[in-house]
Amino acid sequence: MSSRVDRIGLLAVPGLAFLALVYALPLLMLLAKSIQTPDGLSFAEYSAFFADDYNMRVLMRTLRVAGLTTLLALLIAYPTAFAMNRAKGPWLTVFLVAMVLPMSLGVVVKAFAWSILFRANGFLNTMLQWIGLTEKPVRMLFTETALVVGAANVFLPFMVLPIYAVIRQMDSRLPEAAASLGAGPFFRFFNVTLPLSLPGVVAGSAFTFSMAISMYVIPSLIVGERQQTMSMLIARSFLYLRNEPLGATISAVLLAIAVFVVIFSSWLARRLGARQ
Amino acid sequence: MSGRHYLEVWDVAKSFKGTNVMLGMDFRVDRGELVSLLGPSGCGKSTLLRIIAGLLNADDGSVVLDGRDITHLPAHKRNVSVVFQNYALFPHLTVAENVAFGLRARGIAKSATSDPVKEVLSLVRMSDYADRPITALSGGQQQRVAVARALVVDPDLLLLDEPFSALDRKLRETMQVELKALLRDRGITAIFVTHDQEEAMGVSDRIAVMNAGKIEQFAAPSTLYAQPETPFVMDFVGLSVRITGRVTATQSGMATIDTAYGPVQARTEVGVGGTVLMCVRPELVSIDGGENTISVVLEDVMVLGSKTMLHGRASGEDRILCELPGIRTGLSRGETATLGWALEDTLVYEVTP
Amino acid sequence: MTQTDQIFRVLSWIIGLFCIAFLMLPIFITLAASFTSSSVYTLPPPEWSLRWYASLGRRNGLWDAVVLSLNLAFISTVISLVLGTLASIAVTRGNFRGREAIATFTVSPLMMPGLVVGVALLQFFREIGLRDAYWSLLLGHIVITLPFVMRTLLASMSAFDFSLIDAARTLGLSYPKAIFKVLVPNLAPAYLTSGLFAFLASMDNYPISIFLTDARNKTLPIKMLQYLEEQPDPSLAAMSSGLILLAVIVLAFGARTVGLNRMIQG
Repeated sequence: MSSRVDRIGLLAVPGLAFLALVYALPLLMLLAKSIQTPDGLSFAEYSAFFADDYNMRVLMRTLRVAGLTTLLALLIAYPTAFAMNRAKGPWLTVFLVAMVLPMSLGVVVKAFAWSILFRANGFLNTMLQWIGLTEKPVRMLFTETALVVGAANVFLPFMVLPIYAVIRQMDSRLPEAAASLGAGPFFRFFNVTLPLSLPGVVAGSAFTFSMAISMYVIPSLIVGERQQTMSMLIARSFLYLRNEPLGATISAVLLAIAVFVVIFSSWLARRLGARQ
Repeated sequence: MSGRHYLEVWDVAKSFKGTNVMLGMDFRVDRGELVSLLGPSGCGKSTLLRIIAGLLNADDGSVVLDGRDITHLPAHKRNVSVVFQNYALFPHLTVAENVAFGLRARGIAKSATSDPVKEVLSLVRMSDYADRPITALSGGQQQRVAVARALVVDPDLLLLDEPFSALDRKLRETMQVELKALLRDRGITAIFVTHDQEEAMGVSDRIAVMNAGKIEQFAAPSTLYAQPETPFVMDFVGLSVRITGRVTATQSGMATIDTAYGPVQARTEVGVGGTVLMCVRPELVSIDGGENTISVVLEDVMVLGSKTMLHGRASGEDRILCELPGIRTGLSRGETATLGWALEDTLVYEVTP
Repeated sequence: MTQTDQIFRVLSWIIGLFCIAFLMLPIFITLAASFTSSSVYTLPPPEWSLRWYASLGRRNGLWDAVVLSLNLAFISTVISLVLGTLASIAVTRGNFRGREAIATFTVSPLMMPGLVVGVALLQFFREIGLRDAYWSLLLGHIVITLPFVMRTLLASMSAFDFSLIDAARTLGLSYPKAIFKVLVPNLAPAYLTSGLFAFLASMDNYPISIFLTDARNKTLPIKMLQYLEEQPDPSLAAMSSGLILLAVIVLAFGARTVGLNRMIQG
């Protein structure tokens, strides 16, 4: 019996070996490179990176954009997940298609579509002028707002679906039980529905945030070179500046943020899970 | 009229997607009574419970509690507590937090909830578990917490939806005794919803047997068992001998009924030529003869310990049973036996053939 | 139930409908823009025309990029399905320490910055002397597709009743045969869903691929961004519309075979 079990464990070896070699090892080597200088190991690159105002602005912008994107996506996704949970028949299909179709469509296609939309002579401006909100075309492309809207659009399904999954599994009698105990709609929401849906919110937000801090195609198409993000700095360091230590350092910083998000969110999920 | 009863349900109707599940429901409960709604699944008992709780809006009719019309009050303003099937305890809260929920919902400060919570937890003997998470409790413990949570708010009415269905048989009986004593001591008016007739008979003062959105009979358990008003009640509450026959003669309220097993006598208003269903409780049937007797071939003899059950060979929908106390030997399958019972135990219902 | 509940409900529906419109907007915009007669993006188009679809044939290297992307997506997905099946069985059925950690590790590339992984792979391949762009891309794309497969297979295998495998073995199948004849068909929806999403993720990947391409091996997203810089005319919208069509076909296939509801669980 035990030999059977041990042999089953061996089945993981090919996949694990592959990822260790072609994923974990390269990342570790990249981290090593960021502290390697001709004069031996040093964190000089890091102090140089954090001392530079421009870099700090880019880092802050990246975090701000990712935060706002996550927030906007959450604000739209949370009520949507409830509507989706109540939807039946053809309406449910409409919701599902609206989630799955954009999800299976490339980021390049969607980001490109948003760049068309945000153009001065684009659809949105035409609409705004037609409604009479503005007289002249508003500059939208190359703004941070445009970036947040476009990014939220791209990541929205990844926010809706985890929340929907949690709500769908929620015992519908729990709000009823709360009502029979004298809880009004607001008390019910804040003390039952919201806490029970938090695991979905955490999962969706973590995924959205970690994708938003590292997005590259979307900002390249919507804000361009003028407002760099961390990913764009990395690409520039490697592809144009050929400054590999700098690129490796920025990569390490971005990687650290991503790892932090993963660890923090799984800690949070475990904490929420332990209570339920 | 109004105010004579503690809970009054007047002419309530409910339909789902155009199908009437309840029409003209009238239902009265007195203060301090323990009442059961008993019936098969889909009979409308849960619908009635949800309408009384305010979790479902009736299409028509009204619900009056203690002289106050609560028909249009939302659930949270009714002060009617519910113990749900599988309890619906909040998984993100501890035992004490679950129990305190109703008090907190009524705007009582957290500090002020600890005394009543402690008191009610000790009442259900769960004081040692106050800070445990819900998932760490067994089924019986969860039920106690659910009861405590419902009682702590001092409800005007307690509704219990299949409260014992998740418990195993032995625990179920203990919990029934416990809960009944608790509700009696506190003078609480409670309505149980159940499909288990033994449970209903064990816990309630009166039972409303429901079928297809209607109450067939609303009476004390003993009346329900001894004088069921309809074949449905006869059948749903306890076992019965059922034999269809036809009235061939009547004489001063006494009818002769022709059956596949020979003629029997019964008191009935049904006239000559009417098709009837003749019933008798199996424990009232004996093998020592009686005013009515039939001869049947025994199909099975089941020795069940405290009783021995004889199954007679019956045709069609008929069912012939005889329950004898204790262990009986000397009877075996294939033998012909003469079963008999008293005239006064013979119940007759007119049926449309 | 109460009026407040009704208001909540109506509000969630309004936002839900807005969400649907918001999500579908880029798709409709792309389709509309692709049928324009104008050579710039004006919406709505002044006149409808198919000229930009016709122009796709004249795009240099487009067809090569499509073929390379399909090739990479297909091969990397198949390899990931094999590696993923083995690893998921080990994690769900094995009896050793660190199974949780292995599960987290194999799914983690989903949440790592793609560009960083791309850079790391570029330097690693250079270090070990792998100069061939196709092989670099293929290895990179397995890193992209494997976590998609692992995420879905781990979830559905932990729900799978492995006594079925024992039953098959008592009926005369060897362990590997039982896996192939019982487990794989039973998890067909999971395979299909994870395979489709892995395939589409590979087709769409830019951040990892950009570091691994050379002049002759460019994947479709890279080619498209390059066109966008060089010659941003509505033929790009036509190209995008082609990809939309591909996604619709893939989804219609998935919806018919496993159902949309199961696909979103993947």
